[in-house]
Amino acid sequence: MMQPKLKSRVRATDREIGEVSKVIVDPLSHEISHIVVSMNGSGERQVAMTFVQSVSENLVELRAAAGDILELPPFKRDDYVTTHEVEIAHLEERVHVTPGEVLVPFPELEKSVKRRTFFMNFTHVIGFLIGLPIAFPVLRYLMKPMYSPFDNGWLKIGNVSKIKQDDIGVQFKYKRKVKEAYMPESEIEKNVWVLKVTPAVLDKVYQGKDMEFKDAFGKTVWTNKKDFPFIAFSGKCPHLGCGYKWRQHKVLGQVFLCPCHLSIYDASGKVLDGPAPRALDALPIKVSATGEVEIIDMEFKAGTKTQIRII
Amino acid sequence: MQQTPSSSTELTALEKVIAFVDERVGLKTIQAKMLNEPVPGGSRWAYVFGSILLFIFIMQAVTGILLMFYYVPTADHAFASTQYIIHEVDYGWFLLSYHFWGSTAMVVCVFAHMSQVFLWGAYKSPRELIWLVGLALFGIVMGFGFTGYLLPWDQRAYWATTVGVEIMDKTPVIGDFMARFLKGGAIPGQMTLSRFFVVHVMILPAALMGLAGLHIFLFRAAGPAGPFRGTPEEIKAKTDYFFPRQIWKDIVGMITVFFTICALAFWEPVVLLEEATPDPGDYHPEPEWYFLFLFQLLRLKMFGGEFGQFLGAMALPGAFMALLAALPFIDKDPERNIFKRPIALIGWIVVMAMILLFTVAAIINREFLD
Repeated sequence: MMQPKLKSRVRATDREIGEVSKVIVDPLSHEISHIVVSMNGSGERQVAMTFVQSVSENLVELRAAAGDILELPPFKRDDYVTTHEVEIAHLEERVHVTPGEVLVPFPELEKSVKRRTFFMNFTHVIGFLIGLPIAFPVLRYLMKPMYSPFDNGWLKIGNVSKIKQDDIGVQFKYKRKVKEAYMPESEIEKNVWVLKVTPAVLDKVYQGKDMEFKDAFGKTVWTNKKDFPFIAFSGKCPHLGCGYKWRQHKVLGQVFLCPCHLSIYDASGKVLDGPAPRALDALPIKVSATGEVEIIDMEFKAGTKTQIRII
Repeated sequence: MQQTPSSSTELTALEKVIAFVDERVGLKTIQAKMLNEPVPGGSRWAYVFGSILLFIFIMQAVTGILLMFYYVPTADHAFASTQYIIHEVDYGWFLLSYHFWGSTAMVVCVFAHMSQVFLWGAYKSPRELIWLVGLALFGIVMGFGFTGYLLPWDQRAYWATTVGVEIMDKTPVIGDFMARFLKGGAIPGQMTLSRFFVVHVMILPAALMGLAGLHIFLFRAAGPAGPFRGTPEEIKAKTDYFFPRQIWKDIVGMITVFFTICALAFWEPVVLLEEATPDPGDYHPEPEWYFLFLFQLLRLKMFGGEFGQFLGAMALPGAFMALLAALPFIDKDPERNIFKRPIALIGWIVVMAMILLFTVAAIINREFLD
């Protein structure tokens, strides 16, 4: 059935009784539930759609007699809000009650414009012309501090006299100078674990081969000799980069243990338990005649099977 | 619009001002439109979480702006300025603690909101886009948490960030670039702090405001889903407008959350650990409680090694989020009653149980470390 239109004449079974002055919509089903009939001067009546027999272009026919409609209680405007005052999505797509189309004239100047699509696309092109040249400089601007050359300088970190026992991890704390962007040079505290190891452990670390350390271009900067008994492990856990500790473990004895994700390493840095993907990272180390320990403070990416140097 | 004052009574000065503005802006229509949204099946306590989230966000913005009056985002001043807020500035401890507990409340309410929508089947057609935008908002809330706790520059901050960025580094192909981009270098430092600060106070709030606006716009365009059972007649009989019953429930929810956050801020104020250094000392690094389950997951042997770590840290959470995003397009059955959707109900229980299990396991594990 058509939707009743505003201003349509309303005819009861016996005679014409007035015109549609309002329609009432169900907020959930979005169907027209009632029409309001202006009764030719006898006020307004709210008539349910079940009373409606048929709807045509400008006539609504009811199945009740005029007298029955007149007996309905008068329409109470205060019980309703308009569709402008309520949020019902897509209502205007479902209810077509306007007595006709409301038109707004197209401006004279617009009528002569032929290439509307062309102008639309041209607007987009100009947008791109503004955006594109900025994209690369913005990216470069943000990337400025991301890559910096490796620092292969030696750092003094303490004296071997601190180490009292073989195969025991001893933490050496030291300060490293950093210069970031415009900031004044500052010092950050770092640490490595140094061990004086027995030949058996030494062999587990080096497996009979000298250990070479390279710079960014693949040139060797230092070689740890396989028979040199001091080993320095980077303080960064190769699992996800936390700081690990030398600790007593109930079953495994004295081990390196990382409190973050519970990776466990033995004195040679080998993974005994936990999620770590590789052994601890040995660093370039040298010890002077007086026992001063020097290292190159390298860091490797955590979480990878192979070492990838990042500083 | 609805009630135009009758011409016989004189307008007061205030009414004249209101009428003046309304004539030009149409405020009354806007207000009426905002308040008169039909809620199918009537108001419910279950529907309060969306409004509460908006309220929490506004309070986070207000307290966040206030914190910026004293906070300095540099590696040499961040810690000291935060300490100054806590110990010297009048009520600084309260505002900082409110901001901290507010973030926790945000995460709790996001979980509640998502669970409600999931259990009610409200993500189904025609509300798929609301759900998708909601997932993006969930990501933003997590991003707020992650970038926020680096800012005090204490040990907790430093290690959570170190580990978090290392995890991001494991993303295939772009991981290394992303990690360096976020850190502003190879290792965390001043550039990291600057970047996290900008992301936390500018980029994420802008993104959240835009997406939350879109979320609400889409919600209004589709209309509320309503209850998942009941005949159309029953639902119609109980239907009311957003105002006043639902707004009343929302307001009660908001004030409950507000006083809970205040109480937590008062009895459990934020205490900083030592200033950040690359040596954790005796501190056992641990993320915020809502990341604990993920943290515990990564302790498992099966998620160890290079590939296992990728599985646990990237593939598994990624697949879970992808599943959530695909949900309204996979689950096309119009049935919304959760008791007639056994897979959804069991799935929800399993996910919640797993999160709870891993969180508890992480807490129990603390004992073994001391």
